[in-house]
Amino acid sequence: MVHGPVASIARPRRASSLGVSYRLWFSFVAWRLVSLFVILLGLVITTFMMVRLIPGDPATIAGGVNTTPAHVAALRKQMGLDDPLLTQFASYAGNLVHADLGISFTTRQPVRQIITERIPSSLVLAGTSLALVLLCAIPAGLLAGALTREGRHRRGELIFTGTASVIGSIPQFLTATFLAFVFAVWLKLLPVAGSDPPLQSLILPALSIALAPAATLARLVRIEALNVLAQDYIRTARSKRLPARIIYLRHVLPNVLTAALTLGGVILANLIGGAVIIENVYARNGLGTALVNAVLVRDYPVIQGTILILGIVIVAVNTIVDGILAMLDPRSLMRRG
Amino acid sequence: MILAPIVFSKAAAVFNVFDANQNPSRLHLLGTDGLGRDLLLRLAVAARLSIGLALIATAISAVIGSLLGGGTALLPPPIRAVGLRFIDTMLAFPALLLAIFVGAIIGAGAAGATLGVGLAGSFYIARVASALALSVAAREYVVAARVLGVKGLAQLTRYILPNIADTLVIVVTVAVSNAIVFLAALSFLGLGVQSPQYDWGAMLTEGVQQFYVTPVAAIAPAVVISVCALAFGLSGEALARSLNPLLWTGSDSARRPGAPVVNASREAPATDKRMDSKSKDVALRVSNLSVRIPTGGASLDIVMDISFSVAKGEMLGIVGESGSGKTTVANAIVQLVPYPAVVAGTVELNGQDLSKLTKRDLDRLLGTSVAVIFQDPMSSLNPTLRVGVQLTESAEVHRHIDRGEAERVAAGHLREVNIAAAEQQMERYPHEFSGGMRQRVMIAMGLMNEPDLLIADEPTTALDVTIQAQIMEVLRQINRDHDTAIVLISHNLSLVSQNCDRLLVMYAGRIVEELAITDLANALHPYTRALLAVVPDVSRPPDQPLDFIPGHAPHLAARPAGCAFHPRCPLAEDRCRIEVPPLLTREAGGRVACWVANKDLSGKSS
Repeated sequence: MVHGPVASIARPRRASSLGVSYRLWFSFVAWRLVSLFVILLGLVITTFMMVRLIPGDPATIAGGVNTTPAHVAALRKQMGLDDPLLTQFASYAGNLVHADLGISFTTRQPVRQIITERIPSSLVLAGTSLALVLLCAIPAGLLAGALTREGRHRRGELIFTGTASVIGSIPQFLTATFLAFVFAVWLKLLPVAGSDPPLQSLILPALSIALAPAATLARLVRIEALNVLAQDYIRTARSKRLPARIIYLRHVLPNVLTAALTLGGVILANLIGGAVIIENVYARNGLGTALVNAVLVRDYPVIQGTILILGIVIVAVNTIVDGILAMLDPRSLMRRG
Repeated sequence: MILAPIVFSKAAAVFNVFDANQNPSRLHLLGTDGLGRDLLLRLAVAARLSIGLALIATAISAVIGSLLGGGTALLPPPIRAVGLRFIDTMLAFPALLLAIFVGAIIGAGAAGATLGVGLAGSFYIARVASALALSVAAREYVVAARVLGVKGLAQLTRYILPNIADTLVIVVTVAVSNAIVFLAALSFLGLGVQSPQYDWGAMLTEGVQQFYVTPVAAIAPAVVISVCALAFGLSGEALARSLNPLLWTGSDSARRPGAPVVNASREAPATDKRMDSKSKDVALRVSNLSVRIPTGGASLDIVMDISFSVAKGEMLGIVGESGSGKTTVANAIVQLVPYPAVVAGTVELNGQDLSKLTKRDLDRLLGTSVAVIFQDPMSSLNPTLRVGVQLTESAEVHRHIDRGEAERVAAGHLREVNIAAAEQQMERYPHEFSGGMRQRVMIAMGLMNEPDLLIADEPTTALDVTIQAQIMEVLRQINRDHDTAIVLISHNLSLVSQNCDRLLVMYAGRIVEELAITDLANALHPYTRALLAVVPDVSRPPDQPLDFIPGHAPHLAARPAGCAFHPRCPLAEDRCRIEVPPLLTREAGGRVACWVANKDLSGKSS
């Protein structure tokens, strides 16, 4: 065995490099926490400013149609609209800390109660849709990538890409209309509206939300799988004559996922936006229906509350996606620094 | 479409309660709505509002987006980073939610919806515009303008925006498609166009309420919205593809599978007489190996009629310029030739003909008795897997040993290639290693199943010179300690002559000469001799220029007839330009394919 210079090159790196990787994780987490805080602050400021930006007097709107000047004046005082802007913001933020989101103008219910009642239904819908998207798009894209690698099956590639592009560009509320027509009106297999029975009534809404993003993601996964399959390290894996299962699940999939996940945030925004509108199509009692109804009757506390909660969910999920990304591909820690 | 409201709005408003909720008929091609109004006419009238508002919204997006994006790109770097981060953050929020939010401030209605959709769409355009502007802002003439004092808005409108306009047009076309969909969605939710005005979204809402009676009333607007959005979206993508073909799948349309298989039987493999010993001492025997890429008409021959063998424990060098086919030979042996190339000929490993094995036995044999070390260690290891997993997996699969045992074996091989603290190194990822370390890991990986043959394809080309020497030392040591046969593929004749026992010289897809390293001085082929002459020599006087071989290695598709080397050969005769010289065995050992050398040979032997 050769020792001397060779061995000494190999030795001193180890201890410090583990330290480097912890430092990278630390700066990654710190950076994410700072930006999380800034975004949440922005959300709070935006929802606070919303009511102040409304043309006209919020108190007049809050009072309803048959209000009197005296009532409006009392409301102004109650809502703190006569205080300086900073004082108003301080009390708004202070209330948020205690999870106090105000009281609905129309139903006089606490907004917090409205949201806690409706959020489970929305989360179940969005979660089911997300699961559908991931479970359909990743295997389909990977399979299509494996079959069309290095220019094999060019006709199949065109059919796949064409179909996925068309499905991917159909708006979700139209998918909902078509699906409702086929399965509820025509075949009478599934309920057209409502949340009952829970499982059957979930199928059409979840499908409507998931179909377009799933097609887009599948297309992306295929292209990414082609890129990965052409990499040198896949040739290395093939040279070891590993079974296809290990090549695709161990060597290809994590690399495809890292690329797909970088678009995960966009797809997720798409899912949550989709959930808001699809809930209205299928008349489900969720945050989306609450938001749309609130906008129609200008119930500002409810609008503020739901926008804030949806925003927090989006930011939280994006942060989680970034975390998963960092774990899947340790190099992404370095890129973000 | 523009005229429809003027022509049809009266007719579209004509209602007749007796005709309410009719299904399609000759009088009303798409049927009627709840008030008996003709659906087709109403769709035509609604087109102006739907598309008009979408265009207004897109105009808002385009103006705000290009100013926001372009302006951000011009900011000083620290503020720019914050601005870009802001645009990214806004993109994470669903556009529809942003539109609803703006609509909530202004109030439900066409104005609020249009402004909301416009604002929501502006961030996507801003993102693209900032990326484009950043690249343009670095160009010389913009830098020059900045130095001359053109600043701020003038710089943006005069220098940046005109240069990114063509790409922005594409993005804006796609944005129209999105605006149509979002506006229809808002109207559908009751947050957009309010009665008595109507657009497609509002018609869809009305239609859905009559779903069970006249499904057409809902399906028709849905189809119109889809088709219209698709039309704008596709025209944007078509524009993009015509400008930047790389956005399309990126695959090469020239490739076509399905061509005749090469006829394998040619002259019998001629081998060095030393190699004609019993086959059990032969680690690798390659006979009449050809690789070609079938194209539309003629096929491209990459490698033609290669025959050679490698004895157990031998170090064989294959030398040739790039494009000579040496790497393809290596790939063909281990069946890694990329699609759609076709391989013909036979490869025997340890006396077993690969073509006669079942898939399972083939996997086992190739997985255990041969290993390849590739040229670029930086890209040959999987970046998402710990080194330990990549080391152990082939032993786990082919030798059915458990992870712990495989890790012990791997640690042993890592030590063998002089990697210290082997157990800890296995916990690390490839990017934490240097290039030389990675190549050691690759070699250790190759040793996992104690192969009889190691194929090293330019193993040191990507490394710097001091590391090269260490890697070659590791390979020689493996050759000594395990009696592993090594095929060293290189363009570097001196590297091969310092390390190998025997040498194959390849030129334009063929073997032109084979000889023992000890016979190097007696090389017969003019190409080999030229290669020897250009090897830099320390004893050469420093003022004497370095030699080179005149001319270029021929391109695959345009190989000269006859001997491929004849255009560069000082000894070329008429016959060399017409007939390919056969690879003949020399009496003194070795083989050579050259008409001139063969003539000399026959002259000597007679």
